[in-house]
Amino acid sequence: MAMETSSSELKIPKSPVVILMIGMAGSGKSTLMHRMVVRLGSSSSKVYTVNLDPAVKNLAYPVNIDIRDSVNYKEVMKHFGLGPNGAIMTSLNLFATKFDQVLNILSKRAGELDYILIDTPGQIEVFNWSASGQIICDALAVTYPTVICYVVDTARCVKPVTFMSNMLYACSILYKTKLPFLVSFNKIDVIPHDFLMEWMEDFEKLGEALSRETSYVASLSKSMSLAMEEFYRNLRSVGVSAVTGAGSEAFQKAVQDAAVEFQESYVPFLREQRRDLEEKRQAAVEEQMRNFERGMDRAKNKRSRDGASIGELDRLGEDVHNLTIEERDDFMDDMD
Amino acid sequence: MKFAQFVMGPAGCGKSTYCAIIQEHFKVAMRRTCRVVNLDPAAENFLYDCYVDVRDLISVDDVMEELDYGPNGGLVFAMEYLSENMNWLEEQIADALDDDYYIFDCPGQIELYSHLPVMRDLVDMLQNEDFRVAGVYCIDVNFIEDASKFLSGALSALTAMVNLELPHINVLTKCDLLPPGADVERYTDGDTQAILADLRKSTHPRFRLLNEAFCQLLEDYSLVSFVMLNREDEDSIELCLAHVNHCIQYGENLEPKGNFDLPDEMGEGFEGFEGFEGFG
Repeated sequence: MAMETSSSELKIPKSPVVILMIGMAGSGKSTLMHRMVVRLGSSSSKVYTVNLDPAVKNLAYPVNIDIRDSVNYKEVMKHFGLGPNGAIMTSLNLFATKFDQVLNILSKRAGELDYILIDTPGQIEVFNWSASGQIICDALAVTYPTVICYVVDTARCVKPVTFMSNMLYACSILYKTKLPFLVSFNKIDVIPHDFLMEWMEDFEKLGEALSRETSYVASLSKSMSLAMEEFYRNLRSVGVSAVTGAGSEAFQKAVQDAAVEFQESYVPFLREQRRDLEEKRQAAVEEQMRNFERGMDRAKNKRSRDGASIGELDRLGEDVHNLTIEERDDFMDDMD
Repeated sequence: MKFAQFVMGPAGCGKSTYCAIIQEHFKVAMRRTCRVVNLDPAAENFLYDCYVDVRDLISVDDVMEELDYGPNGGLVFAMEYLSENMNWLEEQIADALDDDYYIFDCPGQIELYSHLPVMRDLVDMLQNEDFRVAGVYCIDVNFIEDASKFLSGALSALTAMVNLELPHINVLTKCDLLPPGADVERYTDGDTQAILADLRKSTHPRFRLLNEAFCQLLEDYSLVSFVMLNREDEDSIELCLAHVNHCIQYGENLEPKGNFDLPDEMGEGFEGFEGFEGFG
């Protein structure tokens, strides 16, 4: 499989396609990921999965690379005296500094793969508003066609203000990542998403629904109608049910379309940005390591002041230094 | 009439530091007390003097341990618990007097604003208790690398704010950590042409119409007021506070407190008040 050459020419092969699953907590992201792994796998496509959520308890889908194998978020919480949010962020930061290893593993497998599905942390801001989320996203986008799959809980969007919030947030992610965008309206087994399609096609209908609840948002929404109409033209959307499998075919097609869009539109554009991206990524990785070291120093100082030993922290420091990311053996047997 | 800031923003944006900075400024420069209330059940430790702490009612740690929830489930449970026990919070702030100033340090998770009613219910409660409330959304300025990320930040803030219906300001935190040569003012100055030009460079051509639509919106609607905050610079802190206070009209009828021989010093904190465009 031809990979990017070392010359200034940026060549991104057509597959595998990376799908970054992003969504708010409760949207059904991981369930949808599971459904897609099964669906894509059964249609004789080869699927590879990566889990980036350090705090998830149980994953239904088989995982190839799991952040939890390399970083123990409870230990991070304990040793650094962090709460759950801080620990999740720190865990992801640590993993991101070693992301080169993930890229190496992927490049070895890429020749046999059609899709790489990546599950992101349940707290959406941890991925969107963190240096590590950016490092990971950029690293993937210059190597593989990368598509954002934004998962939405259709049932909650029955409230038009919630729908509006969701779409605003999607817009925020679009501007942050600048990648082909696919909105998956999930849970259509609970409620079909026709009303959402209607709101997207006819802004006045959304305005009417909103004004029944709030005049402020209705008036804001009216001012935004032009911008939002443009936004909807820049994305594709599908209705899916992770639970029943409805919409899987449409999802697959939409991903393919987005991948083509990536090749035709984004690669030439990325080509220009590429050197900048690489440099930024390097700088960001170094910054993360410095942050980690500062955190370690603070934790050590605190322990010394409390008269506690810093042996555990030294060991953690070494573990991080030597952190290796590996694939899980069991799943890979099926690949060979 | 009592006054409050409702401070929000993604994890790591410097919300709690912001609360501490403002509290300190009140104490030192204005010789007034501002009471900070922690509403984040997953908070770790505080740099500010905490007047009320929601963790006295419920904490995510406890929920996770006792109910075996993960961090998200734990937070949602804790916030819903707070919502059901709103009178606890009402009691904690019952001794608030006219002209008192409160800052509410809120949890970051966007789902609490977009999907759940709890944050809105909190704001409604405060307004019923005669508080005038301004929303402050904190963003780490170091993420605003280009116009595209600037817009992304503004939209992220708007996502939270549409549900609260409060006048709001976006505060760009950690400006003291900006590298030399960074020019974020070109975005915060409100020069939409400059923003549009930048967007053309940093986004794909297919975004052209979308960029134009958003820039038009920025211009027409005064959607987003951004203020830069440099914690090392007193003027920066004053300016930031003045912006927020203008939203809630704090300070216009203020009774001088304490030493009546120092009217000049009292005036300093309100410099630059006039002439700012508040939230439309």
